[in-house]
Formats: sequence, C-alpha cells, structure tokens
Amino acid sequence: MSSIFLSVLIVSSIGAALATLLVFAERYITNYGECEISINEGKKIRLQGGSSLLDALTRQKIFIPSACGGRGSCGYCKLKVVEGAGPVLPTEEPYLSPEERGKGVRLSCQVKIRNDLRIEIPPELLSVSEYECVCTDIQDLTYDIKQFRFGLKEPSRMDFIPGQYVQVLTPVYEDNPEEVYRAYSISSDPSEKEFIELIVRLVPNGICTTYLFGNIQVGDPVRINGPYGQFRLTDTEAPIVFIAGASGMAPIKCMLHHMVKTENKRKATYFFGVNTLKDLFLAEEMKIFESRLPGFRFVPVVASPEEGPGWAGEIGLVTQALERFSTDLVDHEAYLCGSPGMIDASIEVLRKHGIPLEHIFYDKFS
Amino acid sequence: MKRTPELQRLEEILRVSRIVSGGFMGNDPRVLEEILDADAAEVSRHGYTTEQIARRMLELTKRAQAGLGTPVKLDEKREGFVDENRGQLVCPWPHAGRYLKTVTTLRRTDTGEIIRWSDLAVHMIGAHGFFQGRGSAFRLEPGDLVQILFD
Amino acid sequence: MNVTAELWQALVVCFASIFTGNILLTTFLGMCSFLAVSREVKASVGLGLAVVFVMTFTTLLNWVAYWYVLVPLKLEFYRFILFIIIIATFVQFVEMVLERYSPVLYQNLGIFLPLITVNCAILGACLFMVIRSYTFLVTVGYGFGSGVGWMLAIVAMSGIRQKMSVARIPKGLQGPGITLILAGLMALAFLGFTGVLQGK
Repeated sequence: MSSIFLSVLIVSSIGAALATLLVFAERYITNYGECEISINEGKKIRLQGGSSLLDALTRQKIFIPSACGGRGSCGYCKLKVVEGAGPVLPTEEPYLSPEERGKGVRLSCQVKIRNDLRIEIPPELLSVSEYECVCTDIQDLTYDIKQFRFGLKEPSRMDFIPGQYVQVLTPVYEDNPEEVYRAYSISSDPSEKEFIELIVRLVPNGICTTYLFGNIQVGDPVRINGPYGQFRLTDTEAPIVFIAGASGMAPIKCMLHHMVKTENKRKATYFFGVNTLKDLFLAEEMKIFESRLPGFRFVPVVASPEEGPGWAGEIGLVTQALERFSTDLVDHEAYLCGSPGMIDASIEVLRKHGIPLEHIFYDKFS
Repeated sequence: MKRTPELQRLEEILRVSRIVSGGFMGNDPRVLEEILDADAAEVSRHGYTTEQIARRMLELTKRAQAGLGTPVKLDEKREGFVDENRGQLVCPWPHAGRYLKTVTTLRRTDTGEIIRWSDLAVHMIGAHGFFQGRGSAFRLEPGDLVQILFD
Repeated sequence: MNVTAELWQALVVCFASIFTGNILLTTFLGMCSFLAVSREVKASVGLGLAVVFVMTFTTLLNWVAYWYVLVPLKLEFYRFILFIIIIATFVQFVEMVLERYSPVLYQNLGIFLPLITVNCAILGACLFMVIRSYTFLVTVGYGFGSGVGWMLAIVAMSGIRQKMSVARIPKGLQGPGITLILAGLMALAFLGFTGVLQGK
C-alpha cells in the first residue's frame, strides 16, 4: 500500500518539477521587457514586447490596413522598419519584392516586438481615427443600392476632403465569425461634419453589404475608421468631366456638394452609366445640383432602356456617350470612379481625344 | 489525421473566411485534402485539366467585360455580364497576389442554366484545384462546370 | 565494454536503425504524420529534421531518467508515463527557446514540434532503447539513426507522391489508400537489407 502511494508521489513530483521548469522558462525566455517604437523619427511609444507590430500599433489607435486579421496572408500591412526587426521570416517572403526587402519593408503582422524599433509610416495613416457612430437613416435608392447616414458620436466630427472614403467595421454576426473592414466613399456634404452618408451596393455574399443590408437598422451603432484616400479635386479652373456608375456616384456627389458650398464656378459634366432605367437613382438631387451650379450638367447614360415611356436621354455605354461629346472634351480634367474595366475603357476614350494622363484622376475599385 | 501546420491554417482560413460571407467551405464536413482529391478525380474523368477550365473562364470573363456591366453575347449558346465591386480579395493560400471582386455571371441561352464566378474562384480552380466546399454559395461542381463551359 | 567497442556498436546500431530496422518501414511506427505530411516535399524535410532532433535528445534524456531515476527506485513500470512527460516537456522547452532565439528556424522547423510530441515513433524508440538495454553511447547512435531512418522514409515517400500526381489513380485509392500501398512496397524494398548488418 505504502509503495503504491510512494511511487505515485514520486512520479507526480517529477511531473510537477518539469511543469515548474516550464513555467520559469516561459517567464524568462518569452519575456521581452519594455520596448520603444519610434515612428517617423518623431513619435515614440513604449510598450511591453511580445506582440506583433500590427497589434501594437492598432492598440495605439494607429490603423494599419489589414485584410486577413494578422494571419500573414494579405500583404496589406506593409511598412518600413528601419531598425530592429530581425531577419525576414519565411511567412513574409512571398509578399515582399527584392526592392522592398532592400528598403526594409516588412509585414507588420509578422514582425514580433522583441527590442526597440524604428519604423516609418505614411503620414496620412497617422491622421486616421476610429469613430463610434449611430445609423440615423437608411434609404432605398434602387433594388440593390441603399444610402446610409451615420451620425458621428465619438469623436463627433470628421474633417474630410471630398473624394475620401471610410472603412466600415462589420462585427461578428451569425454568418460572419470575425470582424472585417470594408471601404466605402463618403457621399455627403463635407461641410456637414457631424454625419456621413454612404452609397452602398449589395454584393452577392459580400460580408459587409449583407450585414448593412440585412442586419443594420436605424438606431444601431456602427464603427468606422477614416478618412482615407488621395482622390480629390484639383485647385485649377479647368472644366471637369465626371464618369461614375452605381455606387461610384458617392465621391462625385460629395465633390458636387463641396462645389456648391464653395461657389465653384468650374464647368462640369457628369456621365452616369447604368444598365436599365430602374438602375437610375438620385436624379432629383442631380437636378438640384444643376440649378445650384450653373456650369454643371448631369448626363445619365442607359445601356438598355426598358420598353415603355420613351427614354429621351443618352443610350448605350458610357464610353459611347463620351465619344459623342468628344469635341467638347479638350482642356477638361477627368475624375472617374468605378470598376477597373469601366475606368480603363473610359481612359482610352479620353486619351484618344486629347486629355493627357496627368489630367485624369481616378478611384479604382481596387 | 495529422496535418502540417500550414494545411491546418489554410483549412481554418477557408472555413472561417473573412473574405466572403459563409467562407469557402460551405457546410462540407470533409477535410480539404478529401475535397481536393475528389474534385481532381471528377475533373480528370471528364477529360479536362483544372488549368484548361480556369483559362476558359478567364477568356469568357474578358469578353464579357467589354459590356461594362451589360450582358454580352459570347457565342450561340452563351451570354454573360460582369459586375465589379470595390475592394480586393486575397487568396487564402500563402502566396502574394490580389484579386479584384469581379463577378462574372454566365447564362446558357439553350438550357437557361446560370452560374457565377469571381476572379478569385477562377484562380483557386486553376492554381490550387479548389472548387470550394459543398454548401458554399460559389461552389461550382466540376462536372456541371465542364458541361456549361465546353459543351 | 570498453569505449571503442561501444562506439563501434553505436555506429552499427545507427546504420541498422536506418536500413535494416527502420522504425517506420520495419516496425510501422509514426505512420499518421507520415501519411498526412508526405504530400509535399518541403514539409516532409522540415518534419523529418524536427524528428531527428527530437528523437536524438529525448532518447538521451529518457535513458538518463530510466537508469538513474526509475531503476534505483524500482519504478520501471512507470516508464510509459514518465517518458511521455519528458518528451512533452522537452518539446515545449525547445519550442520556446527556438521562437526566442531563432525566429527563422522556428518558422521552418519549430512549427512541426507540437505535431511530433505524439508521434509514436518517438516513444517507440525510447521503449526499444530500454528493452534492448542499450548503453548511453549506443543510445545516441540509436536515437539519431532512428530519426534519420524516419526522415529518409518520409522524404522518399513525398518524392514518390509528387511524381504520382500525374498518374491516374482509381478514385477509391486516392490519398491514404495509395500511400499505404506505396509504404508497403517501400517496406518490402527495405526488407532486402535484412542480414546486411549483424547489429541489433
């Protein structure tokens, strides 16, 4: 009896000794102490080592883009680590070109903070904030496009340049086990800083649009961050041609609001391409813009108008309508928002008629 | 069955994907290797390779893109249109490369069958032999796909 | 036994455990990771190297634990439990050290370590070492040789499977089925080595 007891005791104590050894090993080996991150040779952050650079920066409210949640499978979180990152890991290699590696660019989700670091982040990313909002209005614009208004609660104002976009956070819900961010351009008047409006088109099985279309009601909270993006109007007096279809109208509408508020006298023509008449929306708003901006003209282009009361406007593809107006296009600046296919086709037409590439600005859906 | 950490990670990402709603595996209870093996067998039974299938899909997408969202007649039996949405998708497999959210809808004018695919789905078929799990909204049964594309 | 004779026996046992007594192809231990991981050559090499490392050191540690702890206390029957505890602790420890001091090596090899804690070949080698009453030096040879033998088998299998990807395999045999058939054929081939070395 006592021998059984003794033997159990001995083996248990060996097991316990080994477990204790592991605990101490972990405390000593995996403890990295306090590390300092220096950003753009200016801002300094002190924190406990051990987490990934991406996580650490996100905790500090510096929003480095990421599409895969830090798994190392999207390559969006690249930034330059001047010093302190250690050797490049095999998980990073597929995403870094040789010049990037030479410059010290790394995947911040794979860089573990083990010592002091010096990093460089594009300055625009440093002015991005996270906003707690509440949905204050949802309007159906067509059968698959809705307009959402989000009132900003905390912080309560956003300063943005017309043409910029925000990232909407889709939280965990039944079909979506993890959080995801999706980008949408702001369509509301930039002088109204306490709310933003977005024009969203339902994407088949899209995580965010399914969430926005299905789950969000007026009064629900939403988290967004932004503003992002370099797409904006220039300061010149050159006449403008806008080309955008469906949800691509959002940044254009935002720019038009801004032009009204700043009494911008530039001549502008907006070619809005849709498939059928039932895809047209916000035509009334565009009429209001036409009355407020003497130089503005809205030109909807319908590819296949349905039978019925005749459609007296432009028919066909946007590129075809552009061709018909081509004699007027010289000296114009072009602003495009939409799919890469539409943008590439439009750019071809624009260049054919004398608009150089430096005068063509676009926000590709990419 | 024991698997490498990469394979486990890959299957996790495919199931729980934050890239499309519902993930890429649908409600398929089989493991990834089983799905890949079964689909590979079906493809070779029909006499095609996954690369041929992917090439044909890309060719049809390119031709349909000329419509800028409106339907385009591709041949006597097929018509298609392309919708493009903002954003990029990343392939769950660990390699660089981003795919646009280009969704091609193909309709057979003789049988009325309609299938849809995204650029990413085509890449996964051509490069990884992955047709997605049963129950996924974008799964394309290799047998049906071959019929619709080539017959 | 004097040291030279021991060293010689260690060498013989090492070669024997790679070829004539291959722990995977002769005694069929460590089959599950073998079947699963042998799909890709790169993963097989990584896993194989990790197995060599773990097998060598755990046989040593367990030799010490057996002859200096269990035998004096007359607790030999506890070896199954104790060996597993030591293997698990060792692997955890190595993973931590590797992750801290060599992240690149960790990514290449360290991610396989949890996978091989439960690899029966590791425990099997430790138990064989006890049954055959190997001395310390011979155990070094045996542990290292067994690991190399296992690695040889898995790398050879992954090479064959890659070549097989262009073959038309009947639907029912795809995956594990054909792999087991191949393993059997490889075992038959290794059977040809019997009698080559007069080591145990």
